[in-house]
Amino acid sequence: MKLLLGTLYLLGILVSEELGYDGSLAQHRREVVEETVSQRRGLDAYSYTRYHPMEEIYQWMIQISEKYAEVVTQHFLGMTYETRPMYYLKISQPSNNPKKIIWMDCGIHAREWIAPAFCQWFVKEILQNYKDDSRIKKLLRNLDFYVLPVLNIDGYIYTWTTDRLWRKSRSSHNNGTCFGTDLNRNFNVSWCSIGASRNCQDITFCGTGPVSEPETKAVSSFIESKKDNIVCFLTMHSFGQLILTPYGYTKNKSSNHEELIQVGQKAANALKEKHGTNYRVGSSADILYATSGSSRDWARDIGIPFSYTFELRDNGTYGFVLPEAQIQATCEESMAAMLSVLDDVYEKYWGVDSAGKAASSAVVLGLLFSFMSLL
Amino acid sequence: MPPRLQPPPASGTGRPRAAVLPLALLLSLALQGVAAAPAGAGEPEDSLRRRDPELPRGLLEQAARAALHFVNFRAGSPSSLRVLADVLEGRARVNPKKECQVDLVFTTDCYNPEEGEERLGKCSARVFFRNQKPRPAINVTCTRLIEKNKRQQEDYLLYKHMKQLKTPLDVVSIPDSHGHIDPSLRPIWDLAFLGGSYVMWEKTTQFLHYYMAQLSSVNQWKTNDDAIDFDYTVLLHEFSTQEIIPCRIHLVWYPGKPLKVKYHCQELQTPEEASGTEEGSAVAPTELNNF
Repeated sequence: MKLLLGTLYLLGILVSEELGYDGSLAQHRREVVEETVSQRRGLDAYSYTRYHPMEEIYQWMIQISEKYAEVVTQHFLGMTYETRPMYYLKISQPSNNPKKIIWMDCGIHAREWIAPAFCQWFVKEILQNYKDDSRIKKLLRNLDFYVLPVLNIDGYIYTWTTDRLWRKSRSSHNNGTCFGTDLNRNFNVSWCSIGASRNCQDITFCGTGPVSEPETKAVSSFIESKKDNIVCFLTMHSFGQLILTPYGYTKNKSSNHEELIQVGQKAANALKEKHGTNYRVGSSADILYATSGSSRDWARDIGIPFSYTFELRDNGTYGFVLPEAQIQATCEESMAAMLSVLDDVYEKYWGVDSAGKAASSAVVLGLLFSFMSLL
Repeated sequence: MPPRLQPPPASGTGRPRAAVLPLALLLSLALQGVAAAPAGAGEPEDSLRRRDPELPRGLLEQAARAALHFVNFRAGSPSSLRVLADVLEGRARVNPKKECQVDLVFTTDCYNPEEGEERLGKCSARVFFRNQKPRPAINVTCTRLIEKNKRQQEDYLLYKHMKQLKTPLDVVSIPDSHGHIDPSLRPIWDLAFLGGSYVMWEKTTQFLHYYMAQLSSVNQWKTNDDAIDFDYTVLLHEFSTQEIIPCRIHLVWYPGKPLKVKYHCQELQTPEEASGTEEGSAVAPTELNNF
């Protein structure tokens, strides 16, 4: 009897704690629940049609990798000049399948705000749809996405605090009298040979040497270490409405130029179907201008087959200062282009044809071995 | 790289079977000069370059932009500014002094998309680039989209609106960092763009062109003597150097009258600074000295 009463008493305490009559335990549990809910609410309330300062993007990356922990992990890439951490998100569907890597970076030029906005949109689209959308599900079977939402973090912050039209990094030169390297002239490919300047005051300053900047070094080293598995290198810019293939440092074409143009043109067509926006496709030297030391050219030359620069909206009416009202349409059409490229890349390596070829060659080999074993 | 055979655009595609006469015709057309198909296909620029390696890429677009800046300046109407839609056709010639003459036809669109109808205009122009010296010579005619009276009416409405604005000297930048232009401040932007058109016309060469990135400050806004006296600074984005060039512009505008404008730009690259003055004398001799 006493035992029963004792048990009932204990149960009573537990129940009342659950119901919150008692102070501490339930309170704490509630606080934990509330915090998680507000974090999730934070993500639910995150607007992909507004521009976000760097602090919010840092927070967003953490929240995204927590909410979608089954497929997303956040990784440290390196430090910026002003000692800020650079993080990329890895989106990967766990499986035994062999995987290849798609790399996407945004915001190598600070003032091109629509680019980081697109990187965030891209991540959001993949994660919100990977369970139900067969196209994205298929891509994730064999592709991992590595997304760097803001490459030039110092510069990006500078455009929020000081100069909206800043382009370069914020490295200091000439005893602090001159600032910033054009990170997209700093890669080790025909460095500073053309379309770049040795003068720190210029906006296309190529740096004090190839890969002189910590941001360039961080990206370079990482891509270099994974290059055997990277099939696609995509770098997002604005403005101009262009899909650029290698090269900028020469009018010569890469060995797979025709293919790159074909895939690019298909992407431009898919893009146009969304809102009628016209994009042009071509090599940088042909349809834009000569540049050296660009990340796209460097990526191609270390062997990454699909390497593109996307110059997003618009055509100069607003230029870098693209109104927030256009973020959604820009992202929707650019997403269509991106998926088109990814589909083509996927087809090339794991498509019906290539699977068929693999299967039939396996059959032939099998027959050969069994024949030989008969001898 | 082996030269690709470029089919002249006007004649269409396909392999003619009994080709002798059309072929002769094509050959004679090809020999007459450098012609180009609609830009945007990527090909015409190739054909221009392949015929004459002296010609810079995107030359037709350069010429169209210069011509359009000039059209906007000459019209002096902030309510009917035009932007480039498409280059339809064009040809270019370079002389031994590396000066470029471009003849072209292009279409234009409304600058202010909120004005409802997408009314495509058409212009034909001859643009003469003086080998990187400023002030390309422009001869241009455009289809008239709005009657002169209607245009003046619209301008007058804008003018009245501007006169009612509180002096916008505390304006930090238009558009703001997020690309917003307050609708009440839009006329200021349009007027600034009109003045900027003069500057951008003068500065455009066969290699450099400009966009107006931001109105960064208003130094003076006077509306007392029956005209808008507007002193401001814009940031021009210079292509292909990517530089941002601050230009101080002072204009005086009254609807229907030619625009008076002075400017001074801070050049970073070259030691000489660009500046100029215009009293709208390019429009018509009878309209000088109206102020």
